Amino acid sequence: MTYSTKLSLACTTALIALGGAAAAQSVTIGITQNNVGVDSYQTTYEQAFIAAAEQNPDVEVVVLDAGGDVARQIAQIQDLIQQEVDAMIIWPTNGQAVIPAVREAYQAGIPVIITNSNIAEDGFEFVRSFSGPDNITQGARSAEIMCERFTEMGIQDEARIVQITGQPGYTTAIERAEGFEQRLPEVCPNVTLVESQPGNWNREDSQRVMEAFLVQYDDIDGVYSGDDNMGVGALNAALAAGRADEIVFVGATNFAVGYDAMERGEYWGSIYQSPVDDAEAALQTALDVLAGEDVPFFNYFDTPKITQDNMSEFDRPVF
Amino acid sequence: MQNDTVKKLVKNGAIWAFIVFQLVFFEVAGQWWSLSDSAFMDADNMLLLLKQSAPIGIIAIGMTVVMINGNIDLSVGATYALAGIVMLDSMNWPFMEAMGDAAIPLAWLFALVTGCVLGLINGVVVWKTGVDAFIVTLGAMLGYRGLVFMYNGENPTYHLNWTMVDIAEADILGLQTPAIVFLAVVLIVWLVMTRTVHGRNAYAIGDNREAAVNAGIRVGPHFVLNFVLIGFLAALSAVAFYSGSGSVNPNDGMLFELWAITAVVLGGTKLTGGRGSIIGTLGGVIAIQLLRKGLGHIGADTETVNLVIGTILIAVLFLDRQLNRKGAEELKV
Repeated sequence: MTYSTKLSLACTTALIALGGAAAAQSVTIGITQNNVGVDSYQTTYEQAFIAAAEQNPDVEVVVLDAGGDVARQIAQIQDLIQQEVDAMIIWPTNGQAVIPAVREAYQAGIPVIITNSNIAEDGFEFVRSFSGPDNITQGARSAEIMCERFTEMGIQDEARIVQITGQPGYTTAIERAEGFEQRLPEVCPNVTLVESQPGNWNREDSQRVMEAFLVQYDDIDGVYSGDDNMGVGALNAALAAGRADEIVFVGATNFAVGYDAMERGEYWGSIYQSPVDDAEAALQTALDVLAGEDVPFFNYFDTPKITQDNMSEFDRPVF
Repeated sequence: MQNDTVKKLVKNGAIWAFIVFQLVFFEVAGQWWSLSDSAFMDADNMLLLLKQSAPIGIIAIGMTVVMINGNIDLSVGATYALAGIVMLDSMNWPFMEAMGDAAIPLAWLFALVTGCVLGLINGVVVWKTGVDAFIVTLGAMLGYRGLVFMYNGENPTYHLNWTMVDIAEADILGLQTPAIVFLAVVLIVWLVMTRTVHGRNAYAIGDNREAAVNAGIRVGPHFVLNFVLIGFLAALSAVAFYSGSGSVNPNDGMLFELWAITAVVLGGTKLTGGRGSIIGTLGGVIAIQLLRKGLGHIGADTETVNLVIGTILIAVLFLDRQLNRKGAEELKV
């Protein structure tokens, strides 16, 4: 028996003695995240993930961060395969570039769960489940918020709205616009969507787009933005033009800036997406997969509506 | 004389001693802190390490040659991304699509040519304007990155071809393709630097450019050749990596130049030129990847890796300076 095996034996014995029977059947789950330091959504996600794992004595987690670097994420996926984790959670830095690495995990028999933003469809066959927000429902719910507000105001038969979408080509942007555009005519058939333009998830871009809309159209009753960051950009443009009072602003992914604007009564509603729910859902999905439960491929967590009416039920977002 | 040999050994062996230290440390520490059942010094893990080192490693080999010259190339990260984009995008061109899998070698060729051309531009500008390579390639870094964004905006460039992935994942004796490419590059460039006139000239120019000119070495064309080489290697690195991943983000390769320079300096190459070795750089590359991997193995934060590497880099430069100063004093006696 070599020195190192002796050591590891001693350690394992100690661990079992410490952890009791629980340690013997514990599972190891590895996670590689996109870029933890870049915004507080991701930072809060990581903290919530670690906290959730600590609460469960049967779970050990290996928490890695790719720092936004695809090459490093691929290396981390390979490392997790090498470490023989029981399941792997990936927050893709690039929904396409990780597909071959995900296939390697699949071939090694390790179930892969994608979290937050999905990988491209070519990779679906190597993935057990996607845990994240349902962007189509988010879009649909935004349409409902918009329609309900118009009904309250009594302009549901004449309102004209514009849409500011996220980055072209991004799944999240496409799905939210799709959900919104499908649902709106169902609930408010007489509201007209006059134009859609991309705001690239960027507040300044969105502000420019809205400035152009304000010049182009004398009558705008509502603005739907793919997220609150862009929504606040549009709001700023309308405030500058002195037309914010006549417009209903609805967004998605409630940001702190959106929440504050709602508190001031300038912004009407959004969709509340909590990084804590996101992280806990990912861990739970992994555990359910390991427990052999029948997990749906698209395992969405709930993202409720938030408006000026019910915002007191929600904490101010951290991002 | 004997003192000299010892000193040389210490200087060239330091990086390898450091690697051995890391291996032992992570192996032992892993017993306590790692959640993994497999050992750190597992053979498969070490082979994987070589593969993971390849993207920065291949570039670092080129960087060593350029730095021995007394130059530097900051544009390698952008060249890497642009070559990757050309390779994957070319697969979507109609005539390439019509060729099926036969288009793969052609796509590789396009990428390598892109790298050579970008390197050639750097080299010719350095030669003809006499502007410091640092400034020239700093401009190139920004300019080439601009080209990357012009190509496809902020969207990723994507082409997934499983044949290409299979080639990239193919392994011979456990070594996957990128690792083989990396080792081949190390071997070839090492031979060039130690066995050819071009290699000897590289050291001579870096050591004393004026003396080299007086000795009849054509410094300008020599520089151009080396910039083409590093452009080629940056593109080769992209070929090895993106064949296996199939998608380029427009910000890919950012900071690669700094990681490559770090590896080169860790390996004992002097920033001022004239001294350095390919094998030392291989050690530097492995040391960095080992740190990243090892700290992940024992469950340390990703940020810790950068802190540790930064600290070690300064320690290495300090050590180098101490050894050199002693050398200078010895001469006086």
